[in-house]
Amino acid sequence: MTASIPTGLAAPHNRFKLPTSIRRLIRNPLAMVGLFIVLTFIFVGLFAEQISPHDYDLSNLSMARKGPSATHLLGNDEIGRDMLSRLFHGARISLTLSIISVGIGLVTGVLMGVAAGYFGGVVDLIIMGIIDIMLAFPSILLAIVFVAFLGSSLQNAMIAIGVLSIPVYTRLVRSSTLSIKEELFVEAARALGASHLTIVLRHILPNVFAPIIVQSTLQMAVAIQAAAALGFLGLGAPPDVPEWGNMLQKGRNFIFSAPHIVLYPGLATMLVVFGFSLLGDGLRDALDPRLNR
Amino acid sequence: MTKFILRRLLLAIPTLLGVSFLVFASIRLVPGGPAVALAGELATPQMIEQLNRELGLDQPLLIQYVNYLGRMLRFDLGRSIRSGLPVVEEIQTRLPRTLLLAVVSLAVSSVLGITIGVTAATRPNSLFDGGSMIFALLGVSMPIFWSGLMLMIFFAVLLPQWLTSIGFPTGPILPPTGSGTWQHLVMPVTALAANSMAIQARMTRATMLEVLRQDYIRTARAKGQKERIVIYVHALRNAMLPIVTIIGLQFGTLLGGAVLTETVFSWPGIGRLLVDTISFRDYPVIQGTVLTISIGFVLTNLAVDVLYAYLDPRIKYS
Amino acid sequence: MKLSRVLVVVGLLLVSMLAPTVKAQSDTLIIASGTDIENTNIHLVTSSPSFSVLEHIYETLFSMTPEGELEPLLAESIEATADNVYVIKLKEGIRFTDGTPFNAEAVKANLDYMLDPENGSAFRFLLVVGGEPAQVEVLDEFTIQITTKFPFAPLPAHLAHGAYAMVSPAALAQGRDFLASNAVGTGPFVLSEWKRDEEVILTRNDDYWGEKPALETVIFKVVKESGARLVEIQSGTVDVAVRVPPADIPMLEADPNIEIMITPGLRTIYIFFNVTEEPFTDVRVRQAVNYAVDVQAIVDNLFEGAALVSRAPFAPTIFGYAEQEPYARDLERARALLAEAGIAEGTTVTLYHPTGRYIQDALVADAVRAQLREVGLNVELQTLEWPQYVPQVRRPKPENDIQFAMLGWGVPTMDADYALFALFHSSEFPPGFNGAFYSNPEVDALLEKGRSTLDPEERRAAYAEAIRIIWEDAPWLFLYSEIQVTAVRKNVEGFIVHPDESLIATFASKR
Repeated sequence: MTASIPTGLAAPHNRFKLPTSIRRLIRNPLAMVGLFIVLTFIFVGLFAEQISPHDYDLSNLSMARKGPSATHLLGNDEIGRDMLSRLFHGARISLTLSIISVGIGLVTGVLMGVAAGYFGGVVDLIIMGIIDIMLAFPSILLAIVFVAFLGSSLQNAMIAIGVLSIPVYTRLVRSSTLSIKEELFVEAARALGASHLTIVLRHILPNVFAPIIVQSTLQMAVAIQAAAALGFLGLGAPPDVPEWGNMLQKGRNFIFSAPHIVLYPGLATMLVVFGFSLLGDGLRDALDPRLNR
Repeated sequence: MTKFILRRLLLAIPTLLGVSFLVFASIRLVPGGPAVALAGELATPQMIEQLNRELGLDQPLLIQYVNYLGRMLRFDLGRSIRSGLPVVEEIQTRLPRTLLLAVVSLAVSSVLGITIGVTAATRPNSLFDGGSMIFALLGVSMPIFWSGLMLMIFFAVLLPQWLTSIGFPTGPILPPTGSGTWQHLVMPVTALAANSMAIQARMTRATMLEVLRQDYIRTARAKGQKERIVIYVHALRNAMLPIVTIIGLQFGTLLGGAVLTETVFSWPGIGRLLVDTISFRDYPVIQGTVLTISIGFVLTNLAVDVLYAYLDPRIKYS
Repeated sequence: MKLSRVLVVVGLLLVSMLAPTVKAQSDTLIIASGTDIENTNIHLVTSSPSFSVLEHIYETLFSMTPEGELEPLLAESIEATADNVYVIKLKEGIRFTDGTPFNAEAVKANLDYMLDPENGSAFRFLLVVGGEPAQVEVLDEFTIQITTKFPFAPLPAHLAHGAYAMVSPAALAQGRDFLASNAVGTGPFVLSEWKRDEEVILTRNDDYWGEKPALETVIFKVVKESGARLVEIQSGTVDVAVRVPPADIPMLEADPNIEIMITPGLRTIYIFFNVTEEPFTDVRVRQAVNYAVDVQAIVDNLFEGAALVSRAPFAPTIFGYAEQEPYARDLERARALLAEAGIAEGTTVTLYHPTGRYIQDALVADAVRAQLREVGLNVELQTLEWPQYVPQVRRPKPENDIQFAMLGWGVPTMDADYALFALFHSSEFPPGFNGAFYSNPEVDALLEKGRSTLDPEERRAAYAEAIRIIWEDAPWLFLYSEIQVTAVRKNVEGFIVHPDESLIATFASKR
């Protein structure tokens, strides 16, 4: 099973639906604000090199922990690098981190959750057994295993964080699937001879959209914080990487002496999650099957 | 249903075996053994060899595991390498603290989170809705080491200073760290609840919005039922599945310990024990702790599944 | 509006009245320490927080004063009857808190326990001379004789190490499981309660043989988060807070109720070059790195001065110290040396470093990286979790391809032998401690001489010469020695922070 199957199969149906959904999305002002925020951060991430006021990697120890000033609008970090430039460069890394890790959790989790909820029985028991194992396996140990066998890097941290979020998606999707598959319209579709795949794609998935969107948008913040926690234990990115979680983590020691080191990456994380939340809510409304009827 | 519960409980045995074997194998396969973690720079090859012999680490992995299972059947989880104390005792001193923190903070957060979520869903795009969203985002985005310290400064330093300055001399309003009394509970619960409330509120809002659009809600309203009853009885019950799922997962996670909260507030719980012993490669304690946590997860998830069937009577487990 | 404000105040007052009297009492001293003890078996623990707590309960034969003087404690005197035979007279009339008398048999039981490899003490090596454990004999009730394979000048200093403290033989006989959570010693305090991960409570030993402490109770409270320790000391819920982050020194200095204690430590932080791996096989490259890194700026700006720029491979308070001219920052010279050695601009080198092990370790690694960038070296940082880090940097030769890595080395014996031999002698290649694979026959000879000579002046001369050569050869990027920063409430008197990282509450009192 690959992720390409859904799009391929759903395509003929969507060709009619998509324009309406997009129009509905554009008409939603909050979603547009969200889209604007997200696009801004993507822009910042892509063009960090061009828009950064300073070399993000250039340190001046005598400027260590200095607060905002005219030349350094957001101040300097713990070894005197320009905070603003680092936040810009971090945008790309942190967006990638959160999107990749959310993606891993989302795709795997949804597949497992639908399978467990829809087919039930033995499939359900086995998948739930696996999920229980994954949940109980300590996340730090998982990260250590990743580092030990794949090396210590941000990329491996992303994968580990993604893997850790699989159970949440699985259980969420499963719970909704359990209930939706008992709905009348699902039974009707089944009676009309629709295949499992069609039922899942057309009836089940659209209806588990709401909880998944909420989980995914908030999970981005969780991912950045998890990156911070791993960095704290020496299992994440090395200290020179301007990933936001990494910056947060290092600022932990300077909460009193230089609060801006924690504050700005924290605010940036929040803003991105805010943008994705607005966009996600809008998307859900736009794609709501019922509003189509 | 009874059959389902029994089957799941039976299935818990391979699950627990699975977790215990995975943990058992992976801690032994990753580099760095207990001797290094114990003596650090001072660990000599002789010490490492000696400790490995003592712990039976020089034997093949499977034999070690079988021996471990054998001891486990006799309820012998062994002794901590670092402290020399029985693993059972190490867990016993932490588990009640962790349970207390988990139960109280989840109780607080779900009452508040669900209420906020329902209210936000009944007035979408209102000021309250926007405010609750910002609040939720703050809740997930604020690192606990930050919010925790801010709470501490407020209750232990700033507030007493202010009260003293307006003529009510007082010591710290709340003790900054520790776990002895109910006062010690207030700040860690606040910090944890703010975090778990965020996702509960957002989840409730999202699923409630879905449910409120359904036909039967319109029908209920049309029948002239009280709005409050429509929302809290008809709608909420149907929106509960994802919410219950999330709360269940949060409870499980909290059983595994809220490491950061426990660290910041010096709360002696399971989470710190696990992290400390993992970084000390204290194999017996790691194994015992993970076993405890997995039992917690299995039971919680089972309870949640049973709850599904209660919330949505159409759900039947075959 | 007004009413609600009144209500808030009333509510807060109610809470504050309900709040426990968290203010410490005058005969109780509460120390916010960063880590819990490992257990109560002083022979087996290894961390300084454990020794700090347990040395209030247990005492050693000799003790090292904070000034570095060796004094008899449970011993009365020591005398060498031959070059390698030492006779120690013990103090009489001392009892362990379980009533067992302290005598030569007790000392022998403890030393034998330490020397038995089966017990696995990390500090056994302190009494192993030339590969052979010292021989311990009881001469009479209060006299003991120790024989070493070679003449061994540092013997009393090694006996002053906390691991060699005296445990009641009766308790010792009960075995390891008992000792893990019970402590029976001769010290000024007894163990009252150990709440794991929370606090250790000590109460005064009213039958103490020496001068009794003024304090009734000493509590070592585990407060892991440094920020929380600061809140605790500022709010007065603890009397002492250890390991103050350097950046917070100015804030605490501004607090009228708090005094900052600065204690130079015995641990030196360094980055060793693997002299068998490119590009650090060339002494010019090693020197260039030393010239390129501005250690003074690191100390001034990242440590707020709370560290000591290295002028030798170990801290100044240690015997044998010989000050060298530090490699002051000189970018021109660094670039020239690199060019001479044929190192191209943009050469990539990998620096291994731990995180959270030493004060601001990852921060310093990051700063070193940033400064080497200025001379065209592209440093990749490899951060590793401690249990994986140590075996990684101490792998023996063919597998070991570390280029350079950060480590720290403490010298509890306060003697150059401990500070140099294991780190620079060619017999100590990994898995020994000479991670640099540094080998210089001259230095080898000097270190061997320093170890077997008894005359202090001759030893000093040998070490001075060894240090001079090491400094030239630059097998390390010489960084700094740690300084311990401790915050103490002003109403506390007589609290001692020992250079070896022990916290001593025995002579403290509160106003």
